[in-house]
Parts: sequence; C-alpha cells; structure tokens
Amino acid sequence: MPNIHDNPTRTEWVNKIAGLKTLAQGHAFLKDFRAKYVSVFKTDFSLELDWLWIELKIEEKVAVLKQAEFNDHQLLNVCTCGTDAQKVANESLAAMAACEDMYEAERIHINFRLACKPPVMPVNFFLDTDRQLGTKLMELRNTDYYALPLEELRKVRGVRVVTLQ
Amino acid sequence: MAISAATKAATDALAVNRAPVSVGAQEVHRWMQSFTWDFEKNRTKYSTKYKMANDTKEQFKLIAKEYARMESVKDERQFGSLQDVLTRVDAANRVHPKWNESMKVISNFLEVGEYNAIAGTGMLWDSATAPEQKNGYLGQVLDEIRHTNQCGYVNYYFAKQGQDAAGHNDARRTRAIGPLWKGMKRVFSDGFISGDAVECSINLQLVGEACFTNPLIVAVTEWACANGDEMTPTVFLSIETDELRHMANGYQTVVSIANDAAASKYLNTDLNNAFWTQQKYFTPVLGMMFEYGSHFKVEPWVKTWNRWVYEDWGGIWIGRLGKYGVQSPASLRDAKKDAYWAHHDLFLLAYALWPTGFFRLSLPTAQEAEWYEANYPGWYDMYGKVYDEWRARGCEDPNSGFLPLQWFIENNHPIYIDRVSQVPFCPSYCKGASTLRVLEFNGKKHSFSDQWGERMWLSEPERYECQNIFEQYEGRELSEVIAEGHGLRSDGKTLISQPHTNKDGKLWTLDDIKKINCVFSDPLKAL
Repeated sequence: MPNIHDNPTRTEWVNKIAGLKTLAQGHAFLKDFRAKYVSVFKTDFSLELDWLWIELKIEEKVAVLKQAEFNDHQLLNVCTCGTDAQKVANESLAAMAACEDMYEAERIHINFRLACKPPVMPVNFFLDTDRQLGTKLMELRNTDYYALPLEELRKVRGVRVVTLQ
Repeated sequence: MAISAATKAATDALAVNRAPVSVGAQEVHRWMQSFTWDFEKNRTKYSTKYKMANDTKEQFKLIAKEYARMESVKDERQFGSLQDVLTRVDAANRVHPKWNESMKVISNFLEVGEYNAIAGTGMLWDSATAPEQKNGYLGQVLDEIRHTNQCGYVNYYFAKQGQDAAGHNDARRTRAIGPLWKGMKRVFSDGFISGDAVECSINLQLVGEACFTNPLIVAVTEWACANGDEMTPTVFLSIETDELRHMANGYQTVVSIANDAAASKYLNTDLNNAFWTQQKYFTPVLGMMFEYGSHFKVEPWVKTWNRWVYEDWGGIWIGRLGKYGVQSPASLRDAKKDAYWAHHDLFLLAYALWPTGFFRLSLPTAQEAEWYEANYPGWYDMYGKVYDEWRARGCEDPNSGFLPLQWFIENNHPIYIDRVSQVPFCPSYCKGASTLRVLEFNGKKHSFSDQWGERMWLSEPERYECQNIFEQYEGRELSEVIAEGHGLRSDGKTLISQPHTNKDGKLWTLDDIKKINCVFSDPLKAL
C-alpha cells in the first residue's frame, strides 16, 4: 500500500499543477482548490490526508508564475487576481469593523484567509490585515463565552449530534 | 621619586572624593527603569485584548549581568556533577530500567515546553509596556533557553552514559504515530504561543508553571531519586530555581491587567480554558509516568495532585489573586474527579498502543499491583485482571502473536481520541470521568470526552483540526505505519518501543508485528 507521503493522489495533483502556465490560471486553480478542500466550512473530505501538501505545491507554483509576470511594484502592491491589495484589505477591515457577531466575524476572517493567503496577496498587506481581523475575532469570541448552554451552542454552530453518553 | 604635577593633582582629588569601585545591582536596576523608552506602540502579532498597565513592577529586579553570573554558577555545578562525579560512579546505569524509560518521555516532552516558552515569554515582552515588567520577562526568556538546553542534555546524557539509548536519542522522529505527542503539542506548544499574549501567559505562567511545575519538576525529582536516578534531580532542581521567577511573572501579568475593564470580561474564561487545556493532558500523563513508569513508589499521584493542584494552586495561589477578580476555574471540580482514575485509564490504552511509542512500557508486577489496590481500591477488578489476562496471553513475548490492542477489539471497546486535547479515551472501559460525545459538522465526525473541550471546539472549530492516528492511518497495517513513522531502532527492524523492560527479554521486530496483521480503523466511521 502506498505510504502517506508518496501516493497516487499527490502524484495526480502534481501533474495537474505542472500544467499551469500563466498566473491567471494559477490564481483560479488555487482559489478553487482552497474553496473546495481547505476551508473549515468544506464539505468535501476526499483529500483530508493530502490537501495541505497539495495546497503548498500549488502555492509554490503560483509564486513562481507571479515572480515571472509581475514587476517590482506589482509584487509589493497587487494581488494575483490583479486587484489592488490595499483595496482588498480595506474591504475586509471595514466589514470586520462593522461586525459585532462572532459567527459573522469568523466568516469574514476565514474567507479572507482563503481568498488572500500568500502568494495571492503580498505578505506586507496580508499579515497586518490578518492580525487586525484576528484580534477583533478573538475579542468577540471571548465575550459572554458561557452565555449559551451547550445544547444551544450546538444548534448555533449547526452540528448534528451523533451520540451523547 | 618625584611625581608629575598632573599625577599629584589626580592623587589629591581622589583623596577627597574616592572613585566608586563598584555599583550595587539594585542601584543599576533602579537607574535602568528611569529610562523613558517608548513601548506604547509595542505589540505582539495579535494585540492582546487586555491593556497591561505601564507602571507594573516585577519582584526579582535582577539586571542581566547579575542574572548571567548567577546562572553560570548553577550551570557549573550542574554540568560539573554530571560530567565528573555521576559519570565516574556510572550513575546512569544504576537507574531502574522502568524509570529510564519514563525519562525518555519526561525530558523530551519538557524540552518542547521549554522551547515554546521562549516564544511565549517573548510575546509577553512585546506586549508589556512597563520597563520593570519587561525586565522580568527578559529573565524568563533567558531561563527558557537554558532549560531547553538542559532538557536536551538530560536525554543526551542518558543516551550516552546509560542503558537502552533508543528513545532518549531522536524521539521526535516518532511524533506522527506516537499517541502522546499530539496532546503534548497541544499543551506545550499551542497553549503557550497561539493567539492573545496574555492568554498564553495564563496557559504558561499561571497554569503551566504555577500549577503543574510543582508536580512536574519537583515531584519528578522525588520519583527519580527513589528509582536510582541522580541525574534528573541534579538538572531539574536547577531548573526549578528559575521557575519561581516565572510564577512571579504570571502573578505580575495578572496584576498588570487587573484594573483594565477587559479583565472582568475575559480573564476567568481564559483561565478556565487554560486550566482545562493543561490539566486534561498533565493530570493523566504525569500520573501515568510516575506510577507506571517506576518500580519504587513515592506516594499516590492523587495525593500529589490534591496537594499541589487543588489545595496549593486552586485554593491558595488563585485565592491570592482573588482581589484582582480571579476565580478558581469552574472546571477544577471536574478535574479533581479525573485525578483519581484518569492515569490508570490512560496507561491501559498506552500499553495497548505500545508499538507506536518511543519508550518501553511494562506491566505492573504483583508487588506493584498490591500497591495500586491499597491506594486505589477497586484497581484490580478494573485494571489488574486485564493485565493478568494480557500477560497470560503472552503480550510481552514476540512469539505470542498477541497485541493488547486486540483485546479492545475483541471485547468491543473502541478507543477514541478527543479532538481538542488529542488524549485517547475508551468510554466503554474506563473509571475516569470521560464520556463520549460525537458531533458531525459538514459531514465530518468529531469525538470529545468532556463538556469543556466540546465547548472550546464549538467556539473555535478551526483551531482544532488536527487529525488523529486512527483517521490518518485508517486501513493501514500496523507494521507499515511503524516503519513509515520511524519507530525502528538503528538496525532497521527492531521496534524502539517494547512491551517490557526486561534486559534478557526478546525484543519485538517489525516481522513480529506484521504477522499479527493488525489494521487501523477509525471508530468514528462505525457510528
């Protein structure tokens, strides 16, 4: 049986990644992959043992394509989709500033990471935005932590109780 | 002989005003605090949700030079003892073999904790604005670097000078398969360095160090001495002399935020989560290492736990912080229930999963069984008779074809792993407080063993995505997994871990495991 580090699933994805020739292709491929296999809200667990490694390999390829196509100014200021990084960051920060609901804040933060984690957004914008979003989320999550009994909390989170002993 | 006019002038001046020949360290400390360095905009990655007061004091008031002089003396004594006296008397070979195995776990794991404490305390240095408070954290960062080296050195010393080096050296290579590793990383790594710096301080200083340091670093020296180990007290008591500074830093961290409105909103929640996180792992694991990893017993773990965790920490230490609004954690009562049986439950599972470890385990002898029954009435009926059955089926003998894990499968006692703490538990065969809770989220199942962890996961599910060995290796045969996870000695065929510590006993090899054809399955799939 193939081992966990070297298996046909990873080989299949390495071949797909090798077929990416432009930054536009790479960006779209990475965005789709993250939405389907990386998100904490994902519903497809078929790559559960391999997604992290495959995502890394896609990111490596996108970074190489980005370096080949972007000039110095773009590398520091533009996302791989071509949008101004400051503008994207400002939108997320404004949404978080207006948010007082921890579940909505969680969506904003997680979706920001899925959409912008480098190499999509330049790290100089990503890290500081991620920090500000995370700080607000931690405050909201810790406020009235025990307000809901577990039964209510399970409903709000949307989980199905399989067994309780 | 005539002297020059200049020399005479200088001599006359000194006769009136003597030049200082030394400056007291405390005077230097006071002088340094007078610098008006601007730390107002300091922060760590995530700004803490608390505001740390700018006039916070620290208790030790050591300057770096004075600190370095003190620590170098301690290092000279410690390394001098180890390399000279203890080596000449062959001390490492006088350790009881069972305890030799315990130190593979204790020192390797504590090294990870110390390493992460460097970063955790660095985060606090970044967050604090008071010069004195920063000075206290600086001392602790230096301590943690020292302790990381000391813990590494304990394993290096045992490997070089003692018996059965496998596991003392390069334990980390088994980290993917060892069932104790992931829980250890949860308490010693994630808890110390992730998120809010003050929350990390509560995990590290207020709970990890003020609560569990005594059982971990002091009690371990008593158990070590009782089992012929003179190296561990030499090193760990040297470490312990620094831990007071860390407890004081934890105390001052709370003092620094006491007047902040955020403290009343968040502090007791953070403390309760930190306590449950730390105790969920340390309570069973320390008890297991002391009682089952020794031949000569000191005192029942439940007594140690009750004295240092429940009375000293939960009562006295937290009580002293009561004036700042700190309350004993609500989960302390549940933890106390677990302190009686949890380590017995864990050893049953640890022994069943022995091939995945990096240290040797051994079943209690008849003499030890008497001790357990005397101190934990009801022990034999629950655990002792199972060990007798396993022994009768030849669990120590590679030719027996029997792994204790099979007993759990035969008797329909599935082993689960708690998603939050990563600690294994068997709800259908335990005397501890674990209860099975399984939730499904977006089509994936998650198991929990208590209400506190379940709430942590429901509040922050993306923080606890770590896969466990049953999910990771489902459908894989055990010998393949061991080989892939580097669980073999340098001959490439003998397992690092063994189910006995008998020097003359036969050692299990990969072939012995392979012929049993034990295949991993994920118990959550069956639900």
